[in-house]
Amino acid sequence: MDAGPLPYYPINDFGPAMKGMVIGGLGIFHVFIAQFAIGGGMLMCYFQWLAMTGRVPLARKFLDGFFKFLVLVSFVVGALTGVGMWFTTIQISPRTIGMMVDEFHWIWATEWTFFCLEIVAGYTFYRYGSILTDKARLALLGLYSVAAWGSLFWINGILSWQLTPGDWIGSGSLAAGFFNPSFFPSLIFRTIVSMTIAGLAACVVVNLMLELSREEKTTLIQRAARFLMPMVLMPIVGLWFFSVLPEDSRDWVMGGSVAMTMFMTIAVGTSMLIGLYALVGLIGQRLYINGATASLLCALAFAATAGGEFVREGVRKPYTVRQALYSNSLTGEDVARLRQVGSVTHDPYPLENASQYPNEQLKLGAKVFRMQCSVCHTMSATNGLTHLTGTWTMEQKRLNIAQLQRTKSFMPPFAGTPEELEALVQLVTWEHADRPTSWPVSTDTDVLNRIQQWLDDVGTESGLKPGRLLAEAG
Amino acid sequence: MEQVFPFGFPAASARYLTLYVLTLAVHVVFMHYVIAGTGWLAISGILGLGESSLTKTLRDWMPAALSAAITAGVAPLLFVQILYKHAFYTSNLLLFHRWMSILPVLIVGFYLLYVMKSRQINNWPLVARWAVVLLAFGCFAFTGYSWTENHVLSLQKSEWPTVFEQSRTFYGNAEILPRLALWFVGSVPTLGVLVGWQLRHSQNNADEPIAPAPSVVATASLIGLAGSVLFALVYFFMLDGDVRSVVTGRAALLYFLIATVGLAVQGYAWWRQRGDARWDVRWLGLATAGMLITVIGVSVVRECLRIARLDFAALYAEHEAAAGKSGLIVFFVFAVINALAIAWCVRLVCTRRSAVNARVDSGEVT
Repeated sequence: MDAGPLPYYPINDFGPAMKGMVIGGLGIFHVFIAQFAIGGGMLMCYFQWLAMTGRVPLARKFLDGFFKFLVLVSFVVGALTGVGMWFTTIQISPRTIGMMVDEFHWIWATEWTFFCLEIVAGYTFYRYGSILTDKARLALLGLYSVAAWGSLFWINGILSWQLTPGDWIGSGSLAAGFFNPSFFPSLIFRTIVSMTIAGLAACVVVNLMLELSREEKTTLIQRAARFLMPMVLMPIVGLWFFSVLPEDSRDWVMGGSVAMTMFMTIAVGTSMLIGLYALVGLIGQRLYINGATASLLCALAFAATAGGEFVREGVRKPYTVRQALYSNSLTGEDVARLRQVGSVTHDPYPLENASQYPNEQLKLGAKVFRMQCSVCHTMSATNGLTHLTGTWTMEQKRLNIAQLQRTKSFMPPFAGTPEELEALVQLVTWEHADRPTSWPVSTDTDVLNRIQQWLDDVGTESGLKPGRLLAEAG
Repeated sequence: MEQVFPFGFPAASARYLTLYVLTLAVHVVFMHYVIAGTGWLAISGILGLGESSLTKTLRDWMPAALSAAITAGVAPLLFVQILYKHAFYTSNLLLFHRWMSILPVLIVGFYLLYVMKSRQINNWPLVARWAVVLLAFGCFAFTGYSWTENHVLSLQKSEWPTVFEQSRTFYGNAEILPRLALWFVGSVPTLGVLVGWQLRHSQNNADEPIAPAPSVVATASLIGLAGSVLFALVYFFMLDGDVRSVVTGRAALLYFLIATVGLAVQGYAWWRQRGDARWDVRWLGLATAGMLITVIGVSVVRECLRIARLDFAALYAEHEAAAGKSGLIVFFVFAVINALAIAWCVRLVCTRRSAVNARVDSGEVT
C-alpha cells in the first residue's frame, strides 16, 4: 500500500448500477430536501410577519403546522442525507472528497457552525414557539433562515469550485477558488429554486389543512405563491451561469452530448412549466391550486432539480475537479507516471472473483478496468464497455482506448502501460465473446509497440482544447 | 509520542488532533444520551416499570438529542478525514454496503423517536410499543457497532486486502465487542448527568417529592461506572503489549489519570446523590465535572492508542499541507458569531419560559 505515491483504495463493484447514478440519486434527493429547508425558513419568516402585522392572521395557524412538517422532513432526512453525501462520495471517489476536504476544510467547518445555529434556532422555535412573543418568533425564524441560507452559501462555493475553479488553478488561493466564476450565478439560482420549492410545498401543506375553508386556503396559497415570483429571474441567472461555464461544457449542453442536452431540456422545460403556471395562473389570475396540482408541480420541481444537478455533475467531465483531478481520481501527473510504471502494478487489492478469468492477462485487464473505468462504466450493464465498444474491431479498441481523450473529449487519457491497455482490450473482447473458459494470451510485440506509439502520439494531456484550458488557467 | 499529548507532534498535526478530540468529546456526550436513553426506555418498557418523569423526559428530548449528536458528529468527521484520510476512507470502502446501511438505519431510528414521542402510541398495544422502542434502540446500537467495527478495521492495515477479497458482510475482530461494551456502559453515567440536570430543572417547578428518579439515575450511573471499569480492563488486557504500554506512556498517562480521577469523582457524586430524594446541585455539579474530564481523558487515550497503531509520522506532511490552506480566520469569526447567536436563542427561550412560569404561578394564566 505504500509501494507507490498513488493512494490506492479498495474499489467496490456496484453491480449493474453506474456509480454516478448512486451518488446522483442521493445527491438530487438531498439537494431537493436541503433547498426546501432553506426556502421554508424564508417562507416562515414571511408568514410570521404576515401574522404579527395583522395582514393575514391565519398565517399563524399555517406556520405552526408547516414548521412541524419542515422539521420532521428536512431536519431528519436533510441532515442525514447530508452526511450520507459525504459517505457516498467516499465510496465513489475517495480522492475527490479528500481533495475537497483538504482545500476547504475551514469553509466546511464554517458551514458546520451555521448548521449548528440552524438546528438550535429551529428546535427552539419548534419546542417553544407557542410561548414566545411575535418579535421573538420572528427573530428565531430569521436566524434559522440566515443559518440555512448560510449553509448554502458555503457549500455552493465548494461545489461550484469543482466545475469552475477559476484562478485557483494557478494561484491555489482559497478566495479565488471559493468566489469562482460560477459562484454567484449558482448561489442566486439555488436561492430562487429554494424559494420555489418552499412555495410549492406550502401549497401542498395548505391543502392538507382540513380545518381551513376554501377561502382561507386561497388566501394562504396566494401568499405562498409570491415565493414563486423570483422565478422570472431564472432565465437571466441561468444564462449568466451558462456564460461562465467552460466552453467545452457549454458545447456538450448545446448538443455535443445528447444526454446532457436532454437533461438540460428537462430542467429548463419543467422550470418553465412551473414558472408559467405560477406567474400566469396563481399570481396573474389568482387561481386556486388543489393538492393534486400542487403535488404535481412539486414533482416537476423535483424533475427540474434532477435535470439541473445531472447537468452540473455531467459537464465537469472528464474531471471531478476541473483541471486538477480526472473522473477516475487521477491527476495529470499521475497519468504521466502511470504510463511508465503501470496503473495497477502497486495496487494491493486482489480481484474479488479472480477465478472467473481464464488467464493472468484478463485478470490484469480486470484490475485496469476497476482502477480506471469503473467509476463511470460497468462492463455489460449501465454505460457498459461491451455496449460502447460492441462494433469496434480489435484494432479500433486499441487505438480508441490508447487515444481515449481524442475518442471522446470528455474521457480522461488512458493512464497505463501498453501491456495494461492490451489486457483491457482482451478483457472487453473476452466479454464480447460471452466469457469462454479458455482465452489466448496476446503477446504480440508489434501490437504493444503500436499501442505505445499511439500513446506517445496523443500524450498525457486532457482532450479538451488546450487553448481553452490555458485561458482558464490564466 | 515522547511528550504529553498533543505536544509531541508537529504543530499542524497537534492542531488537528486537538480539534478532533475536543469536537469528538462533544459528540460523545450527545451520543451517550441517545444510546443510553433509548436503552433505558427499552429496558423500562420490557420490565414494565411504567411511565415516570425520567422516561417522559427521555422520550420528549430524544429526537433533539439525536439531532444534536448528528450535528456535533459532523465536526469530528471532518477532522478525522484530515488526520487519517487513507485509513478512514479504506475502512469505509471495505465495509461498503454494511457501512452505508447506517444511513437508512439512522433515518428509521430518528422517525421512531418521533413515534415514541407521539400521543397516538399510547393507544397502541403493548407489543407494538415495545417493538418501537426496541427497534429504535437497535438502530442506534447497530450504528454504534458499525462505527466501532469501522474504527477497528481502519487500524488493521495488513488485513485490508484479505477483507476486500473476501467481501465480508461483517468484519470480525475480538476487539470490537469489549470496545463496544465499554462505549455502551460508559454512556450510562453521561446520560445520568444530562438527564439529572433536566430533571432537576423540572424539580424546581414541582412541589411534590420527585423520588425515586434521583436514586434510580444515581444507581444506574454507578452500575455504568463499574461496568466501564470492567470493560476497560477487559479491553486493555486484550491489546498487544506494545499498544498497551501506550496507555502508561508519556503522551497518554496524564489523560489516563485524568479519566481515572473523573471516574472516581463521578462515583463519589453519584454515591452521595443516591440517598437523596431530590436532586442536589452539588452532586450533579461534581458528577458533571467528573464526566467531562473522563470523556476528554478517554478520548485522548483512545487517540493515542490509534496513533500507536498507525504510521502516524508518515501523515505529518499531509497535515502540514492541510494546515497551509487558508480559511481558519473565517472559521473563527463565524464560530464566535454563531456561538453567540446560539447562546442568544437559548437565553431567549429560558427567559421567556421563566416569564410564563411566573405568570402561571401567579395565576395570571393557566
